[in-house]
Amino acid sequence: MEGFTLFDTIVLIGYICLIAWIGSRFGKDQQNPEDYFLGGRKIPGWAIGLSVMATQASAITFIGAPGWGFEGGLERLVTFINVPLAMIVLILVLVPIFHRAGIYSIYELLERRFGPATRTLSALLFLVARGLATGVVLYAPALVLAVVTGWSVNLTIIIMAVLAISYTVMGGISAVIWTDVVQMFVLWFGALFSIFFLVTSLPGGWSDVMDFGATTGMFNAIDLSFDPSVTYSLWAGLLGGFFLHVAYFGTDQSQIQRVLSSPSVMDAQRSLLIGGYLLIPQMLLFLFIGVILATYYQQHGLTPPEDLNELLPRYVVSAFPSGMAGLVIAGVFAAAMSSLDSALNSLSAVTVRDFYSRYIKPNASDAHYLKASRMATIFWGLYATLFAFFAGNLGPVIEAVNQIGSWFYGALLGTFLLAIFSHRSNGRGAIAGLIAGMLAVWAVSALLDVSWLYNNTVGVAVSVSVGYLVSLSAPAPSHAQLSDVMMAEAAPDMQAVLAARADNAHIIGKEARVTRRRCIGLFAWFCLMLAMLALLQGWANA
Amino acid sequence: MLDRLTLARRIDEGTASQQLKRLGASACEPAWIGLWATGLGLPHGSPGAWLLCAQNMQRALLMVGAELPPLVEKPDAGIKLDSGLPPTSEALNRLWLWERMATPRHWRMQVLSTPPKPFWLPCWLGYIRGRQQRLIIISGLSGEPLPMLKPIVLEGLQQAHQKEQNAALSEQRRNSL
Repeated sequence: MEGFTLFDTIVLIGYICLIAWIGSRFGKDQQNPEDYFLGGRKIPGWAIGLSVMATQASAITFIGAPGWGFEGGLERLVTFINVPLAMIVLILVLVPIFHRAGIYSIYELLERRFGPATRTLSALLFLVARGLATGVVLYAPALVLAVVTGWSVNLTIIIMAVLAISYTVMGGISAVIWTDVVQMFVLWFGALFSIFFLVTSLPGGWSDVMDFGATTGMFNAIDLSFDPSVTYSLWAGLLGGFFLHVAYFGTDQSQIQRVLSSPSVMDAQRSLLIGGYLLIPQMLLFLFIGVILATYYQQHGLTPPEDLNELLPRYVVSAFPSGMAGLVIAGVFAAAMSSLDSALNSLSAVTVRDFYSRYIKPNASDAHYLKASRMATIFWGLYATLFAFFAGNLGPVIEAVNQIGSWFYGALLGTFLLAIFSHRSNGRGAIAGLIAGMLAVWAVSALLDVSWLYNNTVGVAVSVSVGYLVSLSAPAPSHAQLSDVMMAEAAPDMQAVLAARADNAHIIGKEARVTRRRCIGLFAWFCLMLAMLALLQGWANA
Repeated sequence: MLDRLTLARRIDEGTASQQLKRLGASACEPAWIGLWATGLGLPHGSPGAWLLCAQNMQRALLMVGAELPPLVEKPDAGIKLDSGLPPTSEALNRLWLWERMATPRHWRMQVLSTPPKPFWLPCWLGYIRGRQQRLIIISGLSGEPLPMLKPIVLEGLQQAHQKEQNAALSEQRRNSL
């Protein structure tokens, strides 16, 4: 039990300085303008995908998932089992439409389709939801800092908020993809080393973990109960979690931003594919650490900390060799900073584009908008800080982030689905659907004993059905309003033109489409993961 | 009247066919799309990239390179589809402002004060036959799909088709007279 040594502190500070130096060296100071633009273009797709993953949830996963696993074993994996299926929907439906529409903020699509009120309301929902979730993201590294230093979490929240806001206002470093990739590997290695140290510290090694997991039912990942109050049943994961992730990855500007900035649809799909394949194994790894920690605590007769988010950081600090603990904690910090930078940037971008430049100062200079975006960053940073003080009461941070999203994003996703699939729906219906969807989610959460995973499903179902029905009371949308969500070539005269041209064009034969192959691959991965969990559960219960 | 530059086609028919096949197309043809290029770089510096756009494009394309790669020999076959007038400088600046907001890494780069240059962008058009005819456009420079150019291409193809029909009609009338 070495604790966090001076050497760890040196490694921590050195790592953060190195990352900051790489960021400023490669992110800002290129003298040749061509290099400046080429920055992200020579980087392989897998690195971009990993960097997207790092920005999304790495620190939250590192801190929250082991506590989740400690509490409930692998049953919580059903929350993520649906991610490959959600990615299929994103790849097939949402990404091509968003990309083709040439939009900067996805809420612009709702304005073109339904009018300015829908855009404003949906962007506002995003700001409120993402701002709250950013509070949880801020809480995570603050907790780690509190564990390392022994200071109060409230103080470390303020320190982290000041650091994150100033760092984002100064430009951030998340643009440097390789630093994100390094952080990702540092966290994974940290997880693998934790497993190694934990297992070797148990007298029976792996057999102790497997016995403990089997006897306590921690390997029971698949619960086939149809009772909607069972939080982590397979059906809640498949039906509820599926909509949760489609909504999270598809209607949250902070997640879809990189997809919109990808040079092509294929690149955008590639970055989603990485998440589609890696999120389940990553979550399995960290939940498994939770199971091993539970075995460790039971065998050593230890009392777990009140806040289960502290489990893994505490273990890393106490059990890792001097220097290595500093490196892993630095990785958590850097990853959290990257997530915070990305979240604050998207919050300020939506504030400026969807509100400030539309309603307050429509024709200001670039410098003015830059200043406005910095002010917005500070505002959202403060908003997130306020919420971070309460985040400790919300349980495992990974669940807290998803729960916050589930209150808002279902209705938002319903509105997007209405925009895309119902050509009869209009602005009146969209607004009614959005409000009804939100109210339905709140009513179900407050009045019924239903798993929170179903919140998004309720939001989607109510906003789509109410939206459609209310739309029937107003005229159908014009052809121009449907242009983003309809195939531009679908008009009969255009079909004749294309048929004539295709007849005279060079025939190239047919091949299985790459998009179709990618989606089949994701579906096969989903089946494989499910089968693997079923086998593990079967073995544990045999 | 500015001379319209023709960019060199870097993706040959074989590569384009391969790429379009992967995207589900069963027939393809070369095309040239008339767009406008504006240099991007540090203030008072030389361009490091080009913003490729047209008046009715929602979002511009970004081409990295100090110079637009010109075609030396005679342009090969392919339908030419023009996108019309250039965007105004205010529209260009605003377009680039939002691009930079979306990618803060590019913040220091500005639209250079030279007027937009007209050019022909080489492309490949792929046709997907299914329940409905569909069109895919890929860049003749990089092979990347360019869905945002679809409205321009469809409008151009429709106009070309109209012209061909009008020509055929007048030919028919002449013959009948």
